[in-house]
Amino acid sequence: MMKWTLFTPELFYVAMAAVFFVGSLQRRVDSRRLYRWAVVLAGVGLAVTVACTRLEGFLFFDSYKVDLFSQFFKVLIALGTFFVVLVCSELYGIDPRKHAEFYFLLSVCTLAMMMLVSAVELLTIYIALELSSYSLYLMVPMRHRADAYVESGVKYFMVGATASAMMIFGLSYLFGMTHTTYVAEIVRVLPHLLHQPAVLVGLVLTLAGFFFKQALFPFHVWAPDVYQGAANQVTTYIATASKMAAAAMVIRFVALTTGHSETLIQLLMVLSVLSMTFGNLVAIIQKDIKRLLAYSSIAHAGYMLVGILCMTQRGYAGAVYYAMAYLIMNFACFMVIIKVADDGHNLQIKELAGLHKRSPLLAMTLMLALFGLAGIPPTLGFTGKFLVFAAALEKGYLLLVVIGMINATISLYYYLIVIKAAYLLEPVREYPPVRVDTWTRILSIVLVIAMIYVGIFPDRFVALSEAAVAVLP
Amino acid sequence: MLMTAMEFAQFPVLSVILFSTILALVVILLIPDDRPQLVKQVSLGFAAVGLALCLYVYFAYDTQKGGLQFVERVLWVKSLGIYYFLGVDGINVPMLLLTAVVLFTGVLTMWELERRVKEYFALTYLLVAGVYGVFMSMDLFFIFVWYDVSLFPMYPLIAIWGGTRKEYGAMKLTLYLLAGSVLILPGILYLWAVAGAHTFDLFELQRMGFDVNVQRIAFLMLYLGFGVLAGVWPFHTWSPVGHVAAPTAVSMIHAGVLMKLGAYGILRVGMTLCPDGLVYWSDLMALLATIGIVYGAFVGLAQTDLKYVIGYSSVSHMGIVGLGLATMTVDGINGAVFQMFSHGVMTALFFSAVGYIYDKTHTKMIPELGGLSKTMPKASAFFIIAAFCGIGVPCMSSFWAELLVFISAVKTYPIRGILAVSGLVVSALFMLRVVQKTFYGEKNPRWEHIPDVPLSLASPRIILVGILVFFGLFPRLILDVIQSAVIPFVNSL
Repeated sequence: MMKWTLFTPELFYVAMAAVFFVGSLQRRVDSRRLYRWAVVLAGVGLAVTVACTRLEGFLFFDSYKVDLFSQFFKVLIALGTFFVVLVCSELYGIDPRKHAEFYFLLSVCTLAMMMLVSAVELLTIYIALELSSYSLYLMVPMRHRADAYVESGVKYFMVGATASAMMIFGLSYLFGMTHTTYVAEIVRVLPHLLHQPAVLVGLVLTLAGFFFKQALFPFHVWAPDVYQGAANQVTTYIATASKMAAAAMVIRFVALTTGHSETLIQLLMVLSVLSMTFGNLVAIIQKDIKRLLAYSSIAHAGYMLVGILCMTQRGYAGAVYYAMAYLIMNFACFMVIIKVADDGHNLQIKELAGLHKRSPLLAMTLMLALFGLAGIPPTLGFTGKFLVFAAALEKGYLLLVVIGMINATISLYYYLIVIKAAYLLEPVREYPPVRVDTWTRILSIVLVIAMIYVGIFPDRFVALSEAAVAVLP
Repeated sequence: MLMTAMEFAQFPVLSVILFSTILALVVILLIPDDRPQLVKQVSLGFAAVGLALCLYVYFAYDTQKGGLQFVERVLWVKSLGIYYFLGVDGINVPMLLLTAVVLFTGVLTMWELERRVKEYFALTYLLVAGVYGVFMSMDLFFIFVWYDVSLFPMYPLIAIWGGTRKEYGAMKLTLYLLAGSVLILPGILYLWAVAGAHTFDLFELQRMGFDVNVQRIAFLMLYLGFGVLAGVWPFHTWSPVGHVAAPTAVSMIHAGVLMKLGAYGILRVGMTLCPDGLVYWSDLMALLATIGIVYGAFVGLAQTDLKYVIGYSSVSHMGIVGLGLATMTVDGINGAVFQMFSHGVMTALFFSAVGYIYDKTHTKMIPELGGLSKTMPKASAFFIIAAFCGIGVPCMSSFWAELLVFISAVKTYPIRGILAVSGLVVSALFMLRVVQKTFYGEKNPRWEHIPDVPLSLASPRIILVGILVFFGLFPRLILDVIQSAVIPFVNSL
């Protein structure tokens, strides 16, 4: 019986999904009430997940491992979900009749991603991944009056299905070569087999499935369209919580090699450089801020990979810290977008004009978040970049770090364009004032403090990231 | 260790200077929007406190004992070996004083600012916090962090309050300077990783010593990275454009202090950690510095915009700093640091003087001005004094600095040294030409009604002139301080 406490966060999200499932059966939908329920449940879910951080153990015939690594990422996922729910107060992007379904799918997806980060058996991993993917496939086309955006839903599904197919193909190779589906067993066997091309192919194809989720080049094609096509809140969820699960899984699978494969390192290096460069260069010409953030997410997947490909504890810790920083900064950007575009339309950069007068607090939150994404100290984004680059240099990848820094400078250009719009441009026409309620105000202040505090006093968070990756092989 | 512990138990004056700027930032942000006058008074108050404390540090610094004083050292991030480590020696004591002086006079210069006053002073204090931070920190991580903190306020400061082509200038400057950090951060991390990846403490790293090849790579990265900010030719192009676009006091802080950060970074990080790298690359440094001196002077000759003239003279003068550093002699480095100080004060005076003329005439084109010394003799005098200082007239602090650099440069690199001296002649020519065309000659009747600068507005310029003359008459007062750090450094080469 004791063992089931390990599963508490997941059980909680099952219950949460059930609540909204029942809600979706009702004929009349009260959006406000659903929202209040969602906030309370997501908040409790976050608290439950945090409370379970220190648990350790195995479940389901050892296919499910609860350790600090998985629990840390579960906290990030729960935090991301809570954040997303908080900004759902004006959910105009989604048909009011479908709000209950939206929260239901959100809970299911969160549940699936939590299972994903704990799964240590290939089939469990695959099932968890598919569960989370299908929830997202459904959420993307949910957009209200979305005829113009149906394309993005279809595209997401098609690319996602392809990535899944590649991944299960890769898993079959891994199974074929190692004769086991247990990650713990694979770790034991794999380092001796890495000279065989089949193993590498299997590993790379498996990683491709997660790279798709992370929107790493060349698995990024869905990102700009889906970011633009999905409702703002759904995009926020894809850009924050779902990225966490993907990062966790890339770390877990790369760690399988225990740093024994030069070929894999080189391959990841190429992907990381391409992803950073491509994402940043294309982001420069974007006019729609969600598209811009989509391309910037492609670049950030590249930065995160710099830490992961070092295959050292410090590298993984840097990537974990980076993921956490990215969650907070990216959410802060999306929160501002959602509040400024409060009728749920796609925000153009020029619509931010004069934001510093329309809402100084949101403008400041946006500026700090963008500076953080660009890696300017003293924000937490700088510390994240610093950690992954430090790890890379410890392995001697000087050129990679220089390329990474060049990319950081390129990215600053388009972040500055957005900041310029918010602070310098005079609006060409009268934009409606931005309504900022008390909760948003509090949330903004918390985010601003978090971004600066974690940036200036990173010690404890670095230690936490290091502890989280200490359980990896 | 006992010594540092004892000193730490004392009043942490450096932290107070550093965090007084952050406090000023917070206080300014809390003042209501409709009280711009209060914002200025608070700014001036904090600047005065900073100036007083920096003066205290300057005179309390024990030149007999030398070495690092006023040390504060706290472990910050354990797993990476990052320390909050502040301290001063003979090199950064004058830099702190320079920063405080330029900030104080800069606040006074912007006394008539009316647009978005609160944001302007808040950003200025953020910038100055970064500058103080770089000058005080003895930990590579913090040097880089403060360096970046000092750079990004420049973007809004120029883009909002700037003049000619402000958005272009702001973007160019920001991207250029951050491109410099593209090399600095990998350079720092490279040294850290090679040294075993457990400390960012500058002096611990120095004691460990590095392999010659490592030093060569790292020094080049740090030199080029910091060199962008120091205006080293051919990475100087952001500097005239940025100076022209920036509002007066931002130009003052920028040319007066920020460019020194670059030279200081080369000296503090690059030369301290990679002496063998310095020996290897010193030829290149001397060459680029000489080109900078000559090139800046010749391009300055062709300019018609007063601010461009000063911008290019800065390139030329920062070349002198680079040349001094490249000589690797006591006199050369002494001169370079002294030049950093006196050029800082001098350009602040230049921009401050031009700022007043521009505010009143709304032009800074030399052909449109003319005969200004007759309509506003006091305002003109400040510019002319600065120009004399730039030429290196005796009794001005630049004279000693340039003298020291050129004597040792001619000894170490005869041909480049002589070329550089001849560059100085050209720069004298262009300075005199500007002075002649702007302040003497035909009086332009358009400006006749303009009042001369009142005493209240002239006060910052008087302070700056006073400092230039004071250290011109008593160069020992600053050279003794600088020397106390430079002699041990050169001996260790």
